[in-house]
Amino acid sequence: MRTCRAGPSVQRRLMRKFQFRIPLQLFPFVFASLWFFTASASAQSPAALPRTADGKPNLNGIWQVLNTAAWDIQDHGGELGIPPGLGVVEGGEIPYQSQALAKKEQNRAKRVTADPAEANCFLPGVPRATYMPYPFEIVQTSDNIAIRYEFAHALRMIPVNGSKHAEGLPSTWMGDSRGHWEGDTLVVDVANFNDETWFDHAGNFHSDALHVVERYTMTSPNHILYEATIEDSKVFTRPWKMSMPLYRHVDKNAKLLEYECVFYLQEERYKNAPFK
Amino acid sequence: MRLSNSRTALISIVLLAPAATAQSPKKLPDGQPNMQGTYTRAGVKGLEANPPFNPIDPGEKNPLSVSNREDGLGPYPRIFGQGGNVLRGGQQRVERRLGIVFPEDRKLPWRPDEDAKRRQFLLEMNPAKDLKHVELNSRCALPGLFEGEDGNNPYTILQPPGKVVIVYDYNHTSREIDLNRREHFGKNIRLFMGDSLGHWEGSTLVVDTTNFNGHVAYSREIPYLSEDLHTIERFTMVDENTIEYEVTIDDPKLFTGPWKVAGSFSRVAQGVESLEFACAEGSQTLQNIFGLPAATR
Repeated sequence: MRTCRAGPSVQRRLMRKFQFRIPLQLFPFVFASLWFFTASASAQSPAALPRTADGKPNLNGIWQVLNTAAWDIQDHGGELGIPPGLGVVEGGEIPYQSQALAKKEQNRAKRVTADPAEANCFLPGVPRATYMPYPFEIVQTSDNIAIRYEFAHALRMIPVNGSKHAEGLPSTWMGDSRGHWEGDTLVVDVANFNDETWFDHAGNFHSDALHVVERYTMTSPNHILYEATIEDSKVFTRPWKMSMPLYRHVDKNAKLLEYECVFYLQEERYKNAPFK
Repeated sequence: MRLSNSRTALISIVLLAPAATAQSPKKLPDGQPNMQGTYTRAGVKGLEANPPFNPIDPGEKNPLSVSNREDGLGPYPRIFGQGGNVLRGGQQRVERRLGIVFPEDRKLPWRPDEDAKRRQFLLEMNPAKDLKHVELNSRCALPGLFEGEDGNNPYTILQPPGKVVIVYDYNHTSREIDLNRREHFGKNIRLFMGDSLGHWEGSTLVVDTTNFNGHVAYSREIPYLSEDLHTIERFTMVDENTIEYEVTIDDPKLFTGPWKVAGSFSRVAQGVESLEFACAEGSQTLQNIFGLPAATR
């Protein structure tokens, strides 16, 4: 892994230069200004990010959101088993067509049994996989980036080799992902979805016309700004966007384990089987 | 990391470069031999010498099963030939060691009482006596190291620094082999895919795996292995398109000694990609075996 040392070496050079010229009582101010200089430099300079051998930001690692979007991507109060939270939708409102809004309300009313991910352990779709309350791991190589999600061992393979979306295939739960780099941002175009997944436990939904563009921008070695633009001409009146930070698991020995949702659900549903 | 000593890597590159043969795979920036790519696997679920009755997958006789749909929306388009060899075409057929290779007579060193137990267990799998007797793959759980549809479903190997990640096409499974950690997790961490620690010995990746959960099968005939399962796998790149595979299976609860299985991974044609293999999302298998639970009626 290549990490940039511009910050510290600049600091060392400046310290050498000023070593014998600054009165002792000014040292706190000098250090404060050096700290400000290096801190702001590292916040603004993309060069401060960890990088792979091919020069891309190194996204390898285990990441997770610290929000409640899996329950509701919009502002919501707490309920039993549902933590309150501020929304992740830019501007707050989701631009539903009027019939679609009614369907969202129907979904919400039956969410305890109908939520495909939370209640049935199905693949959560994109972008919901990102903000399920479970970690996921980015596995980055130069031609392919895999994302392994702990929830239901969901998985995406994202070719970053210039290939186009596959055509003529059955629609999918997790979509067909194609990635490319725009500067230091990984942009993933996701299409070929089915209409089975929801955006959250509140019943926000989409059709099989869903098209998602994700942007993964590393803002520090331990943070990624995640943005997802949602487009679905059958359900929404215009494209809309959600955004949230992803946090790196920095724990020693952090590792993705297994949350085998459907296995646990079967243990519960079929514990007294056979029923006939 | 054991093999990332840059001086050693540099020397070996200099010495071997003129004779760059298939036996010296290219190195990745972190020093790992590069075995990235998409492969199909053969041989890993070998049959023992005296196999018990092979229970029929209830799904195969079940018209609603995802494995039996005739509307063209089956779980996987049938574009791969058995063993993956069809796709590349044109190459010489190579005989490889496949299946159980130790003991050579393929008589597994079962503890007699455990062999009797699994034969009884198999009889109770069809029809399944209860949930515990349903074949794990019919439950759409992670398949462990051995199940995962030899022959038809590709495996993609990714090697980010310090890791080897194997992505199975089968049921969106993946496993990670950690090249830096030296100690397995504590005994309360139990996993379908186990906890895999690896290191490179030349062009062979050696993987030590423990912490299994006692649910994973070896094959239709060996429907479970115990929590004490300990595997040592060796992935050897023998040419640019072939990885020879050998796994030592040590499960002292079921067997009096270890046994070994060989297999191989063959690279598929360029441009072949994995497709989504959703499993639980469409499966009606448990409903058809047991009827509908009250909560969903």
